[in-house]
Amino acid sequence: MSWKKDEDTDELGALMHLDRSTVLQEARVFNETPIRPRQSRILLAKIIFLLYRGESMSTTEATELFFSITKLFQSKDMSLRQMVYLAIKELSTISEDVIMVTSSLMKDMQPKSEVTYRANAIRALCKIVDPSMLPGIERFLKAAIVERSPSIASAALVSSLHLFGDAKDVVRRWGNEVNEALNGKSLSQGSSFFGASANQNQVVSTSNIVQYHAMGLLYAIRQHDRMAVLKLVQTFSGQNKGSWMGGSGATLRSNMAHVLLIRYAVRVMEDDPSLAPQLSTLLEEWVRHRSDMVSLEAARAICHLKNVTSKQLTPAVNALQLFLSSPKATVRFAAIRTLNTLARTNPEAVQPCNVDMEGLITDSNRSVATFAITTLLKTGNEASVDRLMKQMQGFMTEISDEFKIIVAEAVRSLCRKFPGKHSLFLGFLSGVLRDEGGYEFKRSAIEAIVDLAKHVPECKETALAHLCEFIEDCEFTKLSVRVLHFLGEEGPHTARPTVYIRHIYNRVVLENAVVRAAAVNALAKFGASTVGDASLQRSVRVLLKRCLDDRDDEVRDRAAWALRMTGDENVRDKYIRDDSTFALAALERKLVEYCADPGAALKGSFNFDSVPRISRAQEVEARDRQRQETMDAVLTGTTLKAPTSSKTAAGKGDLSADATQDAGASSGFVDVFEQQAKYASQLNAIPELAAFGEQPLVSSQTPTALTEAETEYGVQCIKHIYSNHIVFQFDITNTIPEQVLEQVEVAMEPEEDIDGVLQPVVVVPISELKCDEPATAYVAFEHLDPETFPAVSFACTLKFIVKECDPATGEPEDDDDGFEDEYSLEATELNAGDFMQATYIPDSHALWESLGDSAQSVETFALSNFDSIKECTEKVVELLGMCPLEGALAPKSKAAHQAVLTGKWLGKSKTVARARMTYQKGAGVTMELAVRSEEPSVSELVVSAIA
Amino acid sequence: MASVIKAILDWLRSLFWKEEMELTLVGLQNSGKTTLFTEDMIPTVGFNMRKVTKGNVTMKLWDIGGQPRFRSMWERYCRGVNAMVFVIDAADHAKLDQARAELWSLLEKPQLANIPVLVLGNKNDLEEALSVEQLIEAMNLQAINTREVACYSISAKNQVNIDITLKWLIGHSSSSAPSAS
Repeated sequence: MSWKKDEDTDELGALMHLDRSTVLQEARVFNETPIRPRQSRILLAKIIFLLYRGESMSTTEATELFFSITKLFQSKDMSLRQMVYLAIKELSTISEDVIMVTSSLMKDMQPKSEVTYRANAIRALCKIVDPSMLPGIERFLKAAIVERSPSIASAALVSSLHLFGDAKDVVRRWGNEVNEALNGKSLSQGSSFFGASANQNQVVSTSNIVQYHAMGLLYAIRQHDRMAVLKLVQTFSGQNKGSWMGGSGATLRSNMAHVLLIRYAVRVMEDDPSLAPQLSTLLEEWVRHRSDMVSLEAARAICHLKNVTSKQLTPAVNALQLFLSSPKATVRFAAIRTLNTLARTNPEAVQPCNVDMEGLITDSNRSVATFAITTLLKTGNEASVDRLMKQMQGFMTEISDEFKIIVAEAVRSLCRKFPGKHSLFLGFLSGVLRDEGGYEFKRSAIEAIVDLAKHVPECKETALAHLCEFIEDCEFTKLSVRVLHFLGEEGPHTARPTVYIRHIYNRVVLENAVVRAAAVNALAKFGASTVGDASLQRSVRVLLKRCLDDRDDEVRDRAAWALRMTGDENVRDKYIRDDSTFALAALERKLVEYCADPGAALKGSFNFDSVPRISRAQEVEARDRQRQETMDAVLTGTTLKAPTSSKTAAGKGDLSADATQDAGASSGFVDVFEQQAKYASQLNAIPELAAFGEQPLVSSQTPTALTEAETEYGVQCIKHIYSNHIVFQFDITNTIPEQVLEQVEVAMEPEEDIDGVLQPVVVVPISELKCDEPATAYVAFEHLDPETFPAVSFACTLKFIVKECDPATGEPEDDDDGFEDEYSLEATELNAGDFMQATYIPDSHALWESLGDSAQSVETFALSNFDSIKECTEKVVELLGMCPLEGALAPKSKAAHQAVLTGKWLGKSKTVARARMTYQKGAGVTMELAVRSEEPSVSELVVSAIA
Repeated sequence: MASVIKAILDWLRSLFWKEEMELTLVGLQNSGKTTLFTEDMIPTVGFNMRKVTKGNVTMKLWDIGGQPRFRSMWERYCRGVNAMVFVIDAADHAKLDQARAELWSLLEKPQLANIPVLVLGNKNDLEEALSVEQLIEAMNLQAINTREVACYSISAKNQVNIDITLKWLIGHSSSSAPSAS
């Protein structure tokens, strides 16, 4: 056989210089009679190699090739046939008419053909069938799933998993077979029997891979049936004790299947917290599993649990601690990575491992060492930081960019923790900036310095000096721009602005147009600053004048604008002092909409007033949060967080609810704008509602739940106010798998008299509501008298037709006509707050003064039912539907507080509310609410919202 | 090593069975192409490839599905074969027109010029089946003058006339066919 091997390696070497046209030429070999198996096989390898290398092939070429390859079915050569299967799989997406080989592949997967043929034919077949043909091969696939030979069973299971996406209904019917494969006895003797009969290179599998694949498929089939998944977990839970919750004798022989099981168990816990105690005991048991893989996964699962207690963590951390000294690098890596993530949220729990982690700093595997150091930085105290930083500096050059970013991020969070060490950190960061590194890494180092400069005032000047040094020799335009912007922000407020101006002007002389433009902007900021003396401003104007001769239009424009602006104080104040900014996400979306609509440009220029404004502080906060989230996603990996497919859609409403509930109104702000944009597009999709106007003037920020959590049906209400209409949106979820609801609508019965004010106009029902697939129903009222703003409470009832259905497929049973049913919901209210759009208004104090007493409405309330000022403020914000300004939600004193809120009535009239509160134990909160609005009548309405 | 031995065996075998021929079976769905040589009753999705040995002749049969979606692909498998076999359900009068149209569109392909055609009227065990003469008339076979044509009335079910069919086919083996390249 040795000669054969040599030749093969030669061929492989030759593969590197292949090109498509030669290979396609050679494809004539396939048509020769008799077939030449060896040549054909090598050629197929070349074709597959080309495709893997990313070479693109036109449909005609691929089809031609595909049909030539089908001719090879006449050869009985086994290795050739295997290559044919592979080639078919690769070409299946490019070539036309691939179903041509269906019959041939079906013949090959029959029980009487060779094992090698059968397994591979199944895999190829599943690539080429379309779902309509699936019922024809269903019988064979079901048989293959329960096949004794692992390679065939695995092939069938994995293929079914691929098919599941397109043909859920068909694959769901195979649940029993998959279950059988999962519980099947060890199959290795079976495979060795086949292995002997198949004369060559039949690999005997001992990994019990079938169980792993069966587990994956079974979960895919049953994932929406929480009880079934729980049962799956329970079935295999009895491994150590045998009798836990009636766990049967079933055992998991495959460690990978066990890892999957752990993940599924965690998902069950997330979905149903009431099961958490049982399952977490189970996880703890699994931590002691003899396989490293299972034990690691269980420990990781525990560490990632929400609200995990230190008692739960101890066994997991102990296990991970042991793994830290494992001889296998992968095990060490997995353990330290998990600890690293845990240290972000729970540094104390990781502290016991400090000694072991110190040992890993010198680990030959640099990735392990990096994680060890960054973890230590989180768990360590101020004293150990010096030493760690020094050690880290030692191997920064040896690790990849990816890890350098992790280090930079770790240092960044340390800066906040130990501001006293700022000089150490700055030294480190500026040191690494001088080293080689990619854009992402440099960016995170820069951001860390910027962060440091913002939060630790003492080191601002040094930090700026380091940044100046950095841009003197920076290859990344984006970073130069970032630094220049920051210099422009901070530089004017320092003791010696001239130092920075020199660096900035150097950029104007030396760099490309983009950087020059940014430099001009930075100069403009210096010029507009009122802190420096007049001579400084004069020099800046001189520099800007020189920029007027720049080669680039943009640079010249900016220079001209800057000169004009620095020369005129009024203009300057308007641009430079403005502390509000557009909600960037909303601005982007509006601009995209504007560009996408061909008629928009004819209708007029882009309307900036329609973009909501937020304060800069909010914008920065939103960005910080976003950064934190992406970092979390990177560090924790996506596996545990990956939502179970259809849940994502369902989560939309919940997510925003969560965000606003626990973060208070201000931090969720940017999301709220996004959310409202989504509502608008949903509303416009319904013709009856689209007629009311392009976009609601005001939409509720937070959905109100009209049902208790964990009931049969979940309903959330969101209110949209149009100029002449009011739309109630109901997001409804059906949680009963055995039911399909049809003609779902919400009946709204006003509890007060609304004649002449509101008149119901449209009811949009949900035609079909399946389990776990939320849908939306609407009820719309016409607002007859735009001068009055009703405060009404509506009694709501959910009305629908129930049909029984098969929980597995969600298809209603044919002969079931269903019956009508009702479900009463909590009342929904309409009050003044619903007409108010919470918008940040810059300079609210000036507005307050300019509106004057005439626009004011004041009232004093004694609110004895509140126990603290904070509680009261939150309630007021909720009732008025206005945007709390900085500090409004965080009272400094317990006894007295003043909160300022802003908003726009119906999205137009600017309104400011000022609430002064005092608190006395026993008497509750006394509040004086003063409201001033551009529309005087509004002031009264707003005040009346409280009561 | 196994493959070497196998190669030698194949070579030895080719010395004994010198005669090898390639055939393509086409025709509308449900005309009985697949059942002609096997017991298989499942409609062919795509094609079946099988080898039949008769005496010292090995026949490679490309049995192509007859559903409309596969008809455009008949031509690909007819190129360079020794003979095309067009099977017709002689008892299904309604589909005769369609069968004739498909046969003639195949015959008009320039790539397939000169390839002999054998037209088989299957299912002659049924009473309403057409005779050979009626079939020739219905298919307008007398109009073919540029290539060899034959027409038999057969029954795959009762094995009627299968032997003369095979004889005709063997008569058109490699000696007379253009070699594929």
